[in-house]
Amino acid sequence: MKTEIVKEILDQYGEQATDSPFERSFYSRDLAPVPELLVGPLFKTLPDIVVRPANTEEVSDILKTAWKYTIPVTPRAGGSTVYFNTVPLHKGILMDLNLLKGVVAVDEAAMTVTVKPATTWIELERYLSGKGLAPKSFPSSTPVATIGGWFSMLGYGIGSLKYGSLLSQVRSIEVVTPEGKARRLTRDTQPSLEWFAAAEGTLGIVTELEVEIRHQTQLKHYLLQCSDPLEMRDKMQAVIKGAEVPFNLHFTDQECLQGMKTLGIAPGGLDHGYLLAVDYEGSDQELEQAEKIIQTITEKNQSVRLLPVETAELEWEEKFKAMRLKRGGPSLLGAEIWLPIKNLPQYLADVRKMSQSYNFKLFSYGHVVTPDYATVMTTFNADEMHTIRYIINLSLVKKLHDIGYRYGGSPYGVGLWNAPMIGRIHQPSELKRLKKIKRDLDGKGTMNPGKVYRAPFILNPLNYALAMDMLAGIRKVFGRGW
Amino acid sequence: MSQKPETLYTTLEKEALICARCGYCRTDCPIYKVIGWESASPRGKVSFSREIFAHKQRRDIPEEFVRRLAQCTLCGSCAVACSTTIDLRRLWLDLRQRLAEAGQEPQAYVNLRDTLAAHKNITNFSNDERLEWAQDLDDPESIEPRSGADVCYFVGCVSSFFPQAAEVPLATAQILHEAECDFTTMGGEEWCCGFPLLGAGYADEARKFIRHNVEKIKAMDIHTLIASCPSCYHVWKHDSREVLKGYDLKIQHTTEYLAQLIKEGKIQLNELDEVITYHDPCDLGRNSGIYEAPRAIINSIPGVKFVEMAHNKDYALCCGGGGNLQSVDPENAARIAALRVEEIQATGASIVVSACQQCEQMLTAAIRKENLPIRVLDISQLILEAL
Ligand SMILES: Cc1cc2nc3c(=O)[nH]c(=O)nc-3n(C[C@H](O)[C@H](O)[C@H](O)COP(=O)(O)OP(=O)(O)OC[C@H]3O[C@@H](n4cnc5c(N)ncnc54)[C@H](O)[C@@H]3O)c2cc1C
Repeated sequence: MKTEIVKEILDQYGEQATDSPFERSFYSRDLAPVPELLVGPLFKTLPDIVVRPANTEEVSDILKTAWKYTIPVTPRAGGSTVYFNTVPLHKGILMDLNLLKGVVAVDEAAMTVTVKPATTWIELERYLSGKGLAPKSFPSSTPVATIGGWFSMLGYGIGSLKYGSLLSQVRSIEVVTPEGKARRLTRDTQPSLEWFAAAEGTLGIVTELEVEIRHQTQLKHYLLQCSDPLEMRDKMQAVIKGAEVPFNLHFTDQECLQGMKTLGIAPGGLDHGYLLAVDYEGSDQELEQAEKIIQTITEKNQSVRLLPVETAELEWEEKFKAMRLKRGGPSLLGAEIWLPIKNLPQYLADVRKMSQSYNFKLFSYGHVVTPDYATVMTTFNADEMHTIRYIINLSLVKKLHDIGYRYGGSPYGVGLWNAPMIGRIHQPSELKRLKKIKRDLDGKGTMNPGKVYRAPFILNPLNYALAMDMLAGIRKVFGRGW
Repeated sequence: MSQKPETLYTTLEKEALICARCGYCRTDCPIYKVIGWESASPRGKVSFSREIFAHKQRRDIPEEFVRRLAQCTLCGSCAVACSTTIDLRRLWLDLRQRLAEAGQEPQAYVNLRDTLAAHKNITNFSNDERLEWAQDLDDPESIEPRSGADVCYFVGCVSSFFPQAAEVPLATAQILHEAECDFTTMGGEEWCCGFPLLGAGYADEARKFIRHNVEKIKAMDIHTLIASCPSCYHVWKHDSREVLKGYDLKIQHTTEYLAQLIKEGKIQLNELDEVITYHDPCDLGRNSGIYEAPRAIINSIPGVKFVEMAHNKDYALCCGGGGNLQSVDPENAARIAALRVEEIQATGASIVVSACQQCEQMLTAAIRKENLPIRVLDISQLILEAL
């Protein structure tokens, strides 16, 4: 980026912009501790400038400058994604959206809330709670994830099973297109707001969202201990088919439970079985109905144990703390897979086989987010202090995705690191449609370049698969004790 | 009293690696709220520490990073939010210690250490003047140090020397008299509790102060100690444990002690027709687990309508006055206080009560700046008004 342009933005935005190398360095990584050895030669992740616009006009103004000079723009809000979604690959402008925060209006007649995009889910939840209202769904990263960030990703999490994806709850958005035009979009406009959901910041900046809400209700929590994955899947499906849809349906596999036990964080100190957390919300009547569903499921099945309500409540309280597994690390690698529920037992069986053949522990857990699909996370501990081993271990992430793919799954979220697997995520016709949208809206390719649509050449699917398989082979032969 | 969970803290290097960089710590961090750059977020600071201390990717500690480390109120909200249960408050103290060891701590910390070394308190007054505030009591001599008293009141530097905070010990002493408690103070033998030194990274120096105070308490044959300053209380309760080993000393915050006196009927409270909210001091609430005692006191006053702020207890917002922030960055400390005052105002309360002289000072300044019709009272002052 030319120094004059950096200076122009600095002059205009004063304290809201910085080109300090120290400040910029904080924006050159996300959650994933990918070693510089791997990233440095391929990408330029240090932005030239970081700007924090405070309103739609400023977003628009910055995007106009970027468009005029064809400067890459990387949007970042909570920065809680892991695929380099918010990390620049070609320097340029890092747009930190966190000043775009706050509730604009609540419409209790329409049961919607209008928010600025960098409002975090926890902030929205607290705000609504004061009015006896609540969001219909939220991610399990609620303390940091922003409304705009979740909308720009896939938007499934807690509450999705009952209320659908975030996209299905969004009535309208305001967006600033790559050339800097602010537009208000609904499902009926051209472009449609749907284009921007899961676009990962590649089509423009969402500056306001109107989202459906619900009345705050009581919750009731159940925790079932199943003896094997098959039984857990069957109970899952029985719960889903029940007359009352759970607000949240979460599972933990036995290896994960044991890993948690080692760290002293297993619910109720349990160390065996497959846990199914079933959380209902609703009126007294609905909760009574839910109670009956759980009774029917547990009474008929002697092998399914209904755990004490305190344990179930604790499990709910800890719903945002999945990362505690990292205490066994210090690093944690893994794959998150969008997986058909019906294939969950086979997936877990193959994961177990992989764990044995590579001699390491794999922990799986996940959320059922539609009647047919779950987002399944399989993680393992690694140690980033041993760089070479760590890089080799990264190949096992691809192996996990291969298992998921075998059972009809695909990566959940793309960014940079899952882009080599984009062919598994979208059918060719769908991918073609998405690429056309990208071309139509962002002909110059300034918005979050290098993400989502195709992998950079060096990471093209063939190179990627070959390299990962080779490293996994090395890991299998030489790394059994790692 | 709720219990603070045991820490899982290992070492700075290990904890910095364990940090998931998820950013949960960011949302409620007061300093991130007012600065807004990622470098000011707890996640940012831990990430940078990881590069320096775990990965050893750089030898130096850049000045900008030193500034960011000093920009923290040690309020502990990050630790409550942390998804990997890192005792972040402890990690910040460790980091400040590393700065001091490298001779890179802010000049304000060096000045503070020198003042403490010279005067044994955080001011330039002679430590013999510790009981100056007591001149306004009916019988100032009644609180002169005395061995074998049932209770010793550890007054703390701010309440002892700052005229605007003197109301706190005065009210406390009057209530204790009213309840006919057999209490004393350490007078000029009370040294700073060591908290400012710990917060500045001088753990070894702090230990000398802790040791002195413990030895004096032992020599005075005291077995119950109460402190009105939450930071002093925190040091006595947590950081003095090692030195106190084998000695039977009950340590209470004044709110706990006074709540007990009210419960036992030793203090009778009259009606007050006021809407009151309560600001949880970080070192008393989040960092020590005392939430109920002050609320019980407020709720025991007939006629009072008590309203909670949007952020309370574990999630209470900081007042900006902790972690020696005021000595290095008073502007941001004041901006943090202003955020808290917005919440106070939203409750519609006519009085905001707290249990920390520092919080009260920060809130008073912020309320005055906005010209709001809200009184700031220490819990002891509130009790006194209701007596
Ligand atoms: C412990 C943990 C649990 C998680 N649980 C879930 C879960 O349940 N469901 C789930 O889907 N994900 C989950 N995630 C991933 C992530 O937290 C979410 O996807 C989150 O919603 C991302 O929001 P963010 O504000 O952090 O976005 P960021 O990480 O800042 O950004 C995400 C993407 O959106 C773009 N973007 C952000 N804001 C805007 C905007 N206003 N306009 C345009 N583009 C924008 C960015 O460029 C980036 O590509 C989890 C992560 C962690 C660490």
